[in-house]
Amino acid sequence: MSLLNRSDWYDLARTTNWTPSYVSQDELYPEVHAGSMGIPQESWEVYDEPYKTSYPEYVRVQREKDSGVYSVKAALERNRLFTDADPGWRSILKMHYGGVALAEYAAQQGEARMARFGLAPGMRNMATFGMLDENRHSQLQLYFPHELVSQDRQFDWAHKAHHTNEWGAVALRSMGDDIFLARDAVSTAIMLTFAFETGFTNMQFVGLSADACQTGDYSFAHLISSIQTDEARHAQIGGPVLQILIKNGKKAEAQKRIDIAIARAWRIFAIVSGLSMDYYTPQENRKHSFQEFANEFIVGQFQRTLLDLGLDLPWYWDILMKETEYMHHAYHIGIWTWRPTVWWNPAAGVTPDEREWLEAKYPGWNSTFGRCWDVIVDNLVAGRIDLTLPETLPVICNMSGIPICGIPGDKWSLQDYPLEHEGRTYHFGSEIDRWIFEQEPLRYRDHMSVVDRFLAGKIQPMNLMGALQYMDLGPGEMGDDAHGYAWVDKYADRVAAFAAANPKAA
Amino acid sequence: MALFPISSAFEGDFCLKLVPVDTDNTMDEVCAAAAHHSLSRSVAPRPGHRIRVRRQGATSLLPRDLKLIDAGIAPMECLHFVFEREEA
Repeated sequence: MSLLNRSDWYDLARTTNWTPSYVSQDELYPEVHAGSMGIPQESWEVYDEPYKTSYPEYVRVQREKDSGVYSVKAALERNRLFTDADPGWRSILKMHYGGVALAEYAAQQGEARMARFGLAPGMRNMATFGMLDENRHSQLQLYFPHELVSQDRQFDWAHKAHHTNEWGAVALRSMGDDIFLARDAVSTAIMLTFAFETGFTNMQFVGLSADACQTGDYSFAHLISSIQTDEARHAQIGGPVLQILIKNGKKAEAQKRIDIAIARAWRIFAIVSGLSMDYYTPQENRKHSFQEFANEFIVGQFQRTLLDLGLDLPWYWDILMKETEYMHHAYHIGIWTWRPTVWWNPAAGVTPDEREWLEAKYPGWNSTFGRCWDVIVDNLVAGRIDLTLPETLPVICNMSGIPICGIPGDKWSLQDYPLEHEGRTYHFGSEIDRWIFEQEPLRYRDHMSVVDRFLAGKIQPMNLMGALQYMDLGPGEMGDDAHGYAWVDKYADRVAAFAAANPKAA
Repeated sequence: MALFPISSAFEGDFCLKLVPVDTDNTMDEVCAAAAHHSLSRSVAPRPGHRIRVRRQGATSLLPRDLKLIDAGIAPMECLHFVFEREEA
C-alpha cells in the first residue's frame, strides 16, 4: 500500500482545535497557562511552523541520531582522552554537565506547557517533539558523565548541581524558573525557544562542539552536535508566535519578553561560554575569543533575525555589547577566587603567553584585569595561596544571582544598582537587571540571593566552611585550580626575583 | 555595638565584596576592614597612600573619625573605597 506524502495530509492531521461544549474555552485554555493576550483562537490557527515532521519521521531520525551518539561513545570508550585531556577541558565538561543536564528537564516542562496550552495546533505539535527532545538531552547528558563519576567525583554534579544551594545552581534555577517554567505557553515560546535557544544555546552548542573537535574530544563533540540539531528544530517554535503577536498589535508585549529573556540568558552565557572560550580551553585549541564568537553569532545572526521579524533591538543593546568586552573577565576572576564554591576546577588561563593572547583579543586587558592577576600571581609565587582564597562572600545581584562585577585596574568602574521596593533594598549588577525587576516586582521580590540567606542567618556557621556546607560541596567536590598552580612556573622572571629577594624561602 | 554588613567597591577591584564591620567603627576602621578583603589579594598596595571612603554617588569623602552609627549608612549600602595620598 502506498503512503501519502506528508504534505498531502499534514495540515489536516494537525488541525486539532475544536469548539469545546462541556467546558468553556477559558477553562480549556486558562489565560494564566495559555497567555493569549486576548488574541482569539482563530488568529492563532494561522500559525505556520517552519519545520514540519510527523511522529514516525521524528522517531526514525531520533533513533538514528541516538545510535550515532552511542556508537561513537562506545568506539571511543577505551581511548585515553579523558585522562590525557587538559584539565581545563575537563572543567568545561563538568561545568557544562552540571549546568545543563537538569536544565534540560526544566526546558522539557516548558515544552510540555506549550504542547498542552499552546493555542495554535502547529505550536502544540512542534512542542510535543520539543518535549521529547529535551528529555533525550537530559538523559544523554546524565549518561555520558555518569561513567566518569568513578574517576572524578565532580562529575557527580551533572545530576547533583540543580538539587543543591550552590550559588551557580541557584542562579541557573532562578533564570530557568523565570523563562522556562513559570511562564504561560506564549511567553515560553518567546523566552525559551526564541530568545534563549535561538539566541544562545543553539549557537553556544555550535561553538562548544567545534571546540570539542579541536581538542580531540570527538565523543563530546558528537553528543553536542546531535543535541544541537534538535535545538535548531524546536527553537523555531517562537518565530511564528512572534509574527502572530505583531500582526495583532502586541509587539510591545512580545518585545518586553524578548528583552527580559535575552538579558537573563546573557549572564549565564557569559559565564559558561566566556570562561570556556577565553580561559579554560587550552590556548592552542582556541579558534576565536568569546567576544568574537558573541559578535559573529549573537550580534550578526540573532540581531538580524530580530529585525527581520519587525522587532527592535533590546533597549539595553549598547550596554550588553559593551559587556561582551569585560564582564566575563570579571566573572572569571571571581569564580577562580571563590573556586571552592564551584563543582569544577577553574583553569586560571593567565600564563604570560595566554595574557598576550588576551591582550591581543581585548586591548587593555593587562592594565585592567591583568592588574588583579598580577597580585594573585605574586601571592602564588610567594607561596601565599591563602591570600588567593576568599575570606568573605561577593555581593550577589538580586536578579542574576551572580556576583556584582565591573572593570578593575586602571579603568576601574564598579558600582551597585540598588532599588528600594516595599521596604527592602535590592542590589543589582546593572541597569538591565534592575529594569527586569521593575517590570514585575511581585515575580521577583521574595527571592533571596545566597548573600541574603547568609545575612538572614540561614547559613551556619557564618563563614566560608558554613557556606560550603550549605552549598553541599564536600571534599573532593569543591573546586581548586585546574592545573594545581603549575602554570605559575611560567612566570620565571617573578619566581627568580622572589627567590633572589627571599633566599631562605627559596 | 552591633555587627553591620556593608558592600565594598574597592578602587581597582573587580567585584563588590561583603564586608562585616561594627556600628562603633570609625571610617578608618571601616576602610581597614574593606582593605583586608581587597588589598594584596586582588588590588596592589600603593605605597604612600591611605584608604578613604565615600558613599556611592557622593563626591566628598567621609570624615576619618566619623563613626558608622552616626553616618546614616544603611546595611549593605555600597561604599566606595579609594586611595588618597598620605600627605593630602
